[in-house]
Amino acid sequence: MLLEFLTNWLAAVPGFVVPFALAALGLLLIEKAGVLSLGAEGFMLVGALAGIGAILGLGANPLAALLCAALAAILLSLLYAVLVVSLRVNQVIAGLSLVFLAQGLTGLIGTGAGWVNRPVDGLRPVSLPLLGDLPLVGPVLFRQDTVVYLTIPAFALVAWMLARTMVGLRLRAVGDGPDAADTAGIGVSATRYGAIAAGAALVGIAGGYLSVGIARIWVEGMTGGRGWIAIAIVIFARWRPWSALAGAVLFGAIEALIPRIAAAGIQVPQYFIAMIPYLATLVVMIWTCLRGGGGSMEPRALGRAHLREDR
Amino acid sequence: MDVPSKTVPQPVREARAGSHDGAARPSRRRGRLSIEIRQHASARLQGVVLAGGLLAGLTCAAAILLAAGVGLPNLVQEFVVSIVTSPESVAAVLVQGAPLAVVGLAAALAFRVRFWNIGIEGQMISGAIAATVVAIHDIGPPALRLPLMLAAAALGGSTWILGPVLLRLRIGLNEIISTLLLNYVAFNALLHLLYGPWRDPENNFPNSQLYEPFEQLAELGWQNLTWALPLAVALLLGGWWLLSVSRFGFLTRIAEANPRMGEAQGLPMTRVILAATLVSGALAGIAGFMICAGAEHRLTQSFASGYGFSGILIAFLARNSAPGVLVVALFVGTLFVAGQSLQVFYQIPASAVQLLQAVIVLCVAASDFFIRHRLRWLR
Amino acid sequence: MSPALVMTRVSKSFDGYPALTEAGFAAHPGEIHALLGENGAGKSTLMNVACGLYRPDAGEVRVRGELVSIDGPKAAKRLGIGMVHQHYRLVKAFTALENILLARGASRYGQGLREVEAAARRHCEALGFTLPLDRPVGLLSVAEQQRVEILKVLVEGARILILDEPSAVLTDREAEQMLDTMRRLADEGCAVILVTHKLGEVKRYADRVTVMRGGRTVASADPDALSLSDLTSLVVGAEVRHARVPARNVGAPLLRFAALAGARSDGLTVLNDATFVVRAGEIYGIAGVGGNGQTELAEILMGVRRPLAGSIELDGAGDLCAEGVRGRSVGLAAIPADRAGYALAGSLSIADNYAAGAVLSGRFGSWFRLDRRAIRAATEAAMAAFDVQGARSPNQRAGLLSGGNAQKLVVAREFADPPRAVLAHSPSRGLDVRAAGAVHARLRAARDAGAAILLISEDLDEVLLLSDRIGVMSRGRIVAEFETPAERNAVGAAMVHHA
Repeated sequence: MLLEFLTNWLAAVPGFVVPFALAALGLLLIEKAGVLSLGAEGFMLVGALAGIGAILGLGANPLAALLCAALAAILLSLLYAVLVVSLRVNQVIAGLSLVFLAQGLTGLIGTGAGWVNRPVDGLRPVSLPLLGDLPLVGPVLFRQDTVVYLTIPAFALVAWMLARTMVGLRLRAVGDGPDAADTAGIGVSATRYGAIAAGAALVGIAGGYLSVGIARIWVEGMTGGRGWIAIAIVIFARWRPWSALAGAVLFGAIEALIPRIAAAGIQVPQYFIAMIPYLATLVVMIWTCLRGGGGSMEPRALGRAHLREDR
Repeated sequence: MDVPSKTVPQPVREARAGSHDGAARPSRRRGRLSIEIRQHASARLQGVVLAGGLLAGLTCAAAILLAAGVGLPNLVQEFVVSIVTSPESVAAVLVQGAPLAVVGLAAALAFRVRFWNIGIEGQMISGAIAATVVAIHDIGPPALRLPLMLAAAALGGSTWILGPVLLRLRIGLNEIISTLLLNYVAFNALLHLLYGPWRDPENNFPNSQLYEPFEQLAELGWQNLTWALPLAVALLLGGWWLLSVSRFGFLTRIAEANPRMGEAQGLPMTRVILAATLVSGALAGIAGFMICAGAEHRLTQSFASGYGFSGILIAFLARNSAPGVLVVALFVGTLFVAGQSLQVFYQIPASAVQLLQAVIVLCVAASDFFIRHRLRWLR
Repeated sequence: MSPALVMTRVSKSFDGYPALTEAGFAAHPGEIHALLGENGAGKSTLMNVACGLYRPDAGEVRVRGELVSIDGPKAAKRLGIGMVHQHYRLVKAFTALENILLARGASRYGQGLREVEAAARRHCEALGFTLPLDRPVGLLSVAEQQRVEILKVLVEGARILILDEPSAVLTDREAEQMLDTMRRLADEGCAVILVTHKLGEVKRYADRVTVMRGGRTVASADPDALSLSDLTSLVVGAEVRHARVPARNVGAPLLRFAALAGARSDGLTVLNDATFVVRAGEIYGIAGVGGNGQTELAEILMGVRRPLAGSIELDGAGDLCAEGVRGRSVGLAAIPADRAGYALAGSLSIADNYAAGAVLSGRFGSWFRLDRRAIRAATEAAMAAFDVQGARSPNQRAGLLSGGNAQKLVVAREFADPPRAVLAHSPSRGLDVRAAGAVHARLRAARDAGAAILLISEDLDEVLLLSDRIGVMSRGRIVAEFETPAERNAVGAAMVHHA
């Protein structure tokens, strides 16, 4: 019984981990370049809508739909980039407004195009031969969909890029010491635009995966705060990719557990269970602060707009 | 404050139009755009730019509505004409405007001490729940019931913001996330109560029983205005006094500009921040009470929906000043009322109003660029 | 030998204000050329033109005889011009090697890093640097960070080195080491340009000096041919005498620091059993290398940091460190070192900044209603009395004031009521000679009126000039005390020998 419960639960976890993981990875990219990204929830929403819209409106296959999700998020992120990088708008206001913009926009388009509440086929798991039949490990690790399989390579790619390439060096410089980067001849604005677009693409895919991979439907506001949780994960992980993945696994596990508690017959009021992810995020944030906060790992220029010789 | 020694506005960036990778040859005389941080912006300039930003925002908003299928004459009718001519519309704007002004004031107070109170909706919910506790459990004599509910609402709202502000003051926890997460927690608590112990047995909707008549804010006699409106005016007056007249307001300005200097001068910065945020939470709670006891006459599921961002929007456009909050709240109230008509008559979803609000905020925020920077084309 | 860098009749204006008017000078390979002048004289501006950050409105620049137009930092680097700025352009999270790699650029990270390491080690050996190249630069000392900056420009191939106020944040000994390095580089054939306002340095190390004043070059000469007072006259335009004014009326101990201990923000205990007294009517100057607890001492006295142990007794007012005691209300005035951080709010008006001091006292209205007219009147009077210039009205933003006038505003506020005790932490840093003189005069006046003045400064000259007694702070405690007039070398020795 316990084994069955465990297998069931753990097999569902990777699917729930992916949105947190990819969103956190994208946000990490943006924040490493020194730009606060409170608009995460907004990028996820447009990605989620675009994913469903691609399937319903264009008849695309699920993976192409994810690509559309990324493109939609990139478009929105360009607006954000213009505001905070070129026009130096306060990043908190811009980020919050972007979230509400996205909520309104996706609500409007979703309803107008008639995409609400229409189930789609979405992503299906791909079972790896032989490995997929192993007990316990099989379903958990080797009977997942394509995006899950690609998540860890994605993390590896970004981690390598940040630490061991010139592109990553420049990106980190722009986030930690933009004056130094500017003096070195690096285009701070251009680098930040690039980071924002790339990061938003990942967050958009995370949103698309939510609608196309997990829920396989679009409803208004379906991201339910995951963008904010992703922001907390990045802080908790001290802007390190693999730690962010660990955080995402934690939250994915919690989220996968919630429906199973009720199904297992444990009597806890439904809405209190729904509170768990948010309370868990609070706990994680409190713990991060108590053990010393972001401290020296936080990109020093995070949240501050850059202008040459600015004093 | 490394200001150059003779009040020189240093050019902080010289972006070269069509810049090439400098080879060592005499350059051709190309024009270039110079962006400097402006040292001083006159009130007139700020007004002009703000108006410009608003205009741009409204134009974009109108464009969005037109694209969504609302004809231009209808737009003018809903947003301009009927608002001023029809008494029902005016009353609706005032009814909407009252709680909006109060949440705007709540946001402004918190922002004044640099506390990003994104948890207004959660505080509204806690306030309304506290007031409903008083109503449902018949606490206090009927004559005092309403004031008790008001007090409970203020207390409920303050309590909901107390956690995040203490966390920020003690361990430096970012309040944006903490207040926001508590929104979700409060909302789930509300759902639990409305679908559970407080569910109205007479209908199957997720809302509480109707409040007793003495638990509702009485009507004033004209249209459907209630005592919520005078209450809002009183709170605004109090807010104006607090922010602009009293010594406390001066201390908040220091807390906003340089709290470390305040500390070095022996001013009680921590207590000022704490007081300002607790009052902010209390105001949000009262706003929740105003809606439930004034308009809905019961505790409902979605009474607070949309007020959080509206409060932020109002405070931002009003630049954290009480008179500004009054004006902007009426403006946003107009938006809401017109939006409701659009919903009913043109099938524009409620989220459209949110979109319009966001567009307006972004345009004004973007226009701020021209206040903070001076652009010149150099030859 | 033909000059490495010649700038002729260079002019530059910012928004109508002429920062440079037909300035020019010539630097030769193998020489250390000092560019001397007060703050605001235009030295940094001229050098920023040379390294490509500003484009001149007029004038010409020749590098090794060839007329060039320096369009940006990259162009300057290509010409072999490298600048070490006053505020280091380093990415604190990167190691020294990564910083150098960032500046130099490369097509591939791994290969680039290896090349940079080889070049950096070569230069380190040639210059005698012992520098940890793979620690994050943020953890290095200020002097070490400066060496990273020097390495950076050398690896990029600079043959014309410009250093902007390099010894501003170094101890005497570190400055000596740095200037020895410059000598070595000059001997190798580089042209070294030293931007400074320190006359002593110029006399000791420079082969040639160009003096700038008000955006113009007023003289170019061999420093050996000029006396210190000649140089001073050229820099200031008039003769300014720096004379000590000893205390007349020293009284009983007023401020007692007893076994004070305190920690830095990151938890490191830097103040350890600091014990000394400051008497009424005297200026007690704390000399010491930065980072030995002076800042924490100042912060504890101001009331923004809690001590770990010990007390500060103000005669008649008890322990200033006790809970709830407000230094200002018992007669303590403070001029902090970090003006923008602790002393003024740039975005608020001058009047608001002035009122912050006495707003709780009831002078400017009650809790119910702030009396704005009283504030304005008091501010205007104070601005007149303390010669705060550069503002049209008290409602102007305080951030618009120049450094000297901002400091005078701080003094005006702090001295609004005659203080019993004064903390002056680096009071003349960043100020020109005249403004510094005005601040010093105020401190002396307060002293002569019976206040106890605690002066903390990393500028040994300032401490020697102003103090009646000197305490040397090292490793968080007072290790030696001197009566003035004191021997500069003796004090300096005490500063370093306990390190």
